[in-house]
Amino acid sequence: MENKNPISPHIQIYNWHISSLVSISHRVTGIINFITVTLIGIWIASLLLGEENYVFTNFFLSSLVGKFICLGIIWSFTFQMLSEIRHLIMDLGYGFEQKTTKITGLIVLIGSFPLTVIIFIIGRVLI
Amino acid sequence: MGSVTKKWLFLKVSSAILVPLMLWFAINLASIYDKGFEQLLLFVSSQPSKFLLSLFLIFAYFFSALSISEVFEDYIEDQKIKNAANKSLNIFAIVFPLLIIILIFSL
Repeated sequence: MENKNPISPHIQIYNWHISSLVSISHRVTGIINFITVTLIGIWIASLLLGEENYVFTNFFLSSLVGKFICLGIIWSFTFQMLSEIRHLIMDLGYGFEQKTTKITGLIVLIGSFPLTVIIFIIGRVLI
Repeated sequence: MGSVTKKWLFLKVSSAILVPLMLWFAINLASIYDKGFEQLLLFVSSQPSKFLLSLFLIFAYFFSALSISEVFEDYIEDQKIKNAANKSLNIFAIVFPLLIIILIFSL
């Protein structure tokens, strides 16, 4: 049977709002995280190849590029976490007022950056 | 309960479980990403990281498969392509984490 459900129009026809920016970023980071978790799985699997074969991976991850990638992954995870918490709160029936959606959207968008730095520092210093 | 409601509920429950697991993994990633082979092996093969890492993989793939299927629903018009994309996604989201978890527990 042919599906008569409407599909979403392309995002370019809408004016940009904080909510739409958070929504599209949520989807993009979701796909990035799917790829990232797969790469993390491959990274773990690479341990099977032994210590000699891990030298290059270790060299790459210890470089400035490696640190940048690590920070990027943590930011993507942080964004998803904040955005998911926002969604869960909205699912409970809170935060639907226009002003509140703007504030929570900004918390997700801007707050993900300092939270990334805090998580990175906790990981480096406290663990 | 309808299948769409079930899917929404699974998405929300997995999201609530995934948030603390993601925070745990992000903190540990910052700690281990540049460590040598021995330290990484020690992290992956010791408890509780072995158990938490497995849980993280299960819920990350479960949640991702559900949420990416929503993206397919919104942007893929052709039903055959949509079904094929969903099937491929679901098979990958089951097989890949299962292989990695078997590997983690065999280290």
